[in-house]
Amino acid sequence: MRCRLVPGLIYMEELMTSNLFRSCLGATVCAVLAASVGCGAGSPVEGPKADVAAATALRASLAESSAAGGGEAEEQSQGTGWATLKGSFTFLGTPAAPKALVVDKDTEVCSKDGMKLYDQSLMVDGSTKGLANVVVFLRKSSRVKAEVPQEKLLFDQKNCEFMTPVFAARVGQPVSVKNSDPIGHNTNISGTSFNQLIPAGDSTVFTPGRETGLPVSVTCNIHPWMKAYAVFREDGYVAVSAADGSFTIPDLPAGEPLEFQVWHERSTGRSGALSLDRPELKWNAKGRFKITLKENEVRDLGALEVPADAISG
Amino acid sequence: MADLTKANMRQTHPEQTEAAFDRPSQPLGCRWVVRLAVIFLVPLAGAGCGPTPEASFRLNLFEASAQRLKPSQEQQVATILAALFGTPDAPVVLPETGLDEAKLLLAAGPVRSDIVGRKNGLYREHCAHCHGVTGDGMGPTAAFLNPYPRDYRPGVFKFKSTERADKPTHEDLVLVLRNGLAGSSMPSFDLLSQAKIDALAEYVKYLSIRGEVELSLMRAYFELDDEDQGRLPETREFLIEEILLPVAESWQSAPDAVIDVPEMPADLDMVASIAKGKELFYGNKANCVKCHGVTGLGDGQANDYDDWNKVVVQAQKTVSGGVEQAAKASTWEMDSEELAEHEADLVWLERFGKVLDGNALRPRMIRPRNLRQGIYRGGMRPLDLYYRIHAGINGAPMPAAKGTVAPEDIWHIVNYVRSLPYDFNGTLGVDRPMAARDRL
Repeated sequence: MRCRLVPGLIYMEELMTSNLFRSCLGATVCAVLAASVGCGAGSPVEGPKADVAAATALRASLAESSAAGGGEAEEQSQGTGWATLKGSFTFLGTPAAPKALVVDKDTEVCSKDGMKLYDQSLMVDGSTKGLANVVVFLRKSSRVKAEVPQEKLLFDQKNCEFMTPVFAARVGQPVSVKNSDPIGHNTNISGTSFNQLIPAGDSTVFTPGRETGLPVSVTCNIHPWMKAYAVFREDGYVAVSAADGSFTIPDLPAGEPLEFQVWHERSTGRSGALSLDRPELKWNAKGRFKITLKENEVRDLGALEVPADAISG
Repeated sequence: MADLTKANMRQTHPEQTEAAFDRPSQPLGCRWVVRLAVIFLVPLAGAGCGPTPEASFRLNLFEASAQRLKPSQEQQVATILAALFGTPDAPVVLPETGLDEAKLLLAAGPVRSDIVGRKNGLYREHCAHCHGVTGDGMGPTAAFLNPYPRDYRPGVFKFKSTERADKPTHEDLVLVLRNGLAGSSMPSFDLLSQAKIDALAEYVKYLSIRGEVELSLMRAYFELDDEDQGRLPETREFLIEEILLPVAESWQSAPDAVIDVPEMPADLDMVASIAKGKELFYGNKANCVKCHGVTGLGDGQANDYDDWNKVVVQAQKTVSGGVEQAAKASTWEMDSEELAEHEADLVWLERFGKVLDGNALRPRMIRPRNLRQGIYRGGMRPLDLYYRIHAGINGAPMPAAKGTVAPEDIWHIVNYVRSLPYDFNGTLGVDRPMAARDRL
């Protein structure tokens, strides 16, 4: 049965009855439908599926070991006495001029007298080329010498910036979070659920309850340009390099292998881990080095040179 | 193409024209209707039909990418989670979690009725389309909602009666289910029976514990020593005692962390309290106006994110920064080891980018609440507002006023905030015209 459409479309009719055209039309329609049904703004990446057999076996073994009461004692070579580790970080590259921060709130205090605030993520001493704010901490310790200090560590903020760009505290050590500005701030230490209003001129005490894996950021929600870092360790064997790049960690356990983690905010390593070329310290790509100290030794690692490509930007 | 107008056709094809134009146009032939139906309907039918695939938990690929896990490590995490928590259809409840198995069985699995007619599969019936089968806040409807549905996996909940760092109590979850969250897409499930609501709250806890354990496992790879060779120890000491127990205990200790709220004095002079509250609201102890704005409309700040969106924003920066850095790398100077590392970096960045595109919701900023509307997500009781101000809102930029603002002062701020929707800066009758019904 021929479809008698408007004569002008007689040509179309002939075209439409051709097999080639029909199959092309069908294919196009199917493709369009499939595309509209299947594609989103980015199709989800498929993750691995759990190995059910392995999971059941693991569950059984966990139940068993609870009955057996497993757990082997950790044999670690325990030495005696204490030692000190020190060193000095120097930056081999030329740091770019620090960027000015965008200060758009409470400008009568934060931009008082045309004062500008600068990004403090890369602080290099002009004369000694010392790299400040590098964090060095011991990953695991078998014993600790000092008790948890009870005197409050001061963490202040003035002129709408944190006075200590990177600070370290021991778990259980009280930190006095102070606000020396005439305006209110709120200090938000990520990873700790501490986000507290600090009124002008006042202070509040924060006691870290858990150690952090790597330094966590400290911000102010009212003044979003404010940024600092905090690291809390259980054993307290942590140091932050000073303005001239030097650091000291005293009273470390001597006579056993110690593994240290090194971190800098602007490091190109994973999550800020800083890896230097010191093969005798077995410095690996995760920013960790190993060392064994003798009793009463004061080991000076000397100048720890940080190449320009280890720091981003 | 030939000019196919009627006038033209008359000249070139006179014998066909009259007949064709004047005959009423015939409908499409039967054969064509069938052909078009086949072309359009077969793909649609093919797309949908088939047996429903079994629901399975989705691995937190965002965290896996952020922690730079290898495929074998991702597989290990998936297997450990299946061992500790089971599947969406068959949950496993270890006694250490402190969860009630009977409630979980009511909520888990596909929607079905048992022989008595009791409905099972409550979570999948009521919650999974927004919150996702895994509780990751990325169900099929999630992308269309503002604010996004809650992702339970970090174990952070905003509206509760406990201190900022603590988990919500069971009653907090039940309240959210009963009342919904006003101003968001979370509806009220008050029509469900108490047993069903309890079952759903328990299942939310189960998904949250599972999600936090997953995050802890993935973060634990960074802490491994080289001797472990990139595999987590599958011992009871590590998996149960070090990873699972802290999470479970944080839920069990939530009732001990409920905020101690002093009673608001019954004979409180409201007008004076509201005036005092206004002073505090604008003062620099509580700093409310800094974010909520001098008008209370929530326009004091508009550039912050809540914790769930912030990690996605930071990850996007990491990926784009990494890509930029990799592009600048001088590969011709590298030796084979460095080149391999560089290649690995590129592969990781590409996959992370794909995960951010397909497995994460587009980040949205969080705005401070418009206090003039009288719509409070976490509940409108004065007590609810007290909780919000005292502990802040966990996961959101709202800070805690505890310790800075005295409890009586918090009550004054609560009274002022509750008056804001009715706040009128003027004299009634003079500055505001009388309502028509009051005019005589």
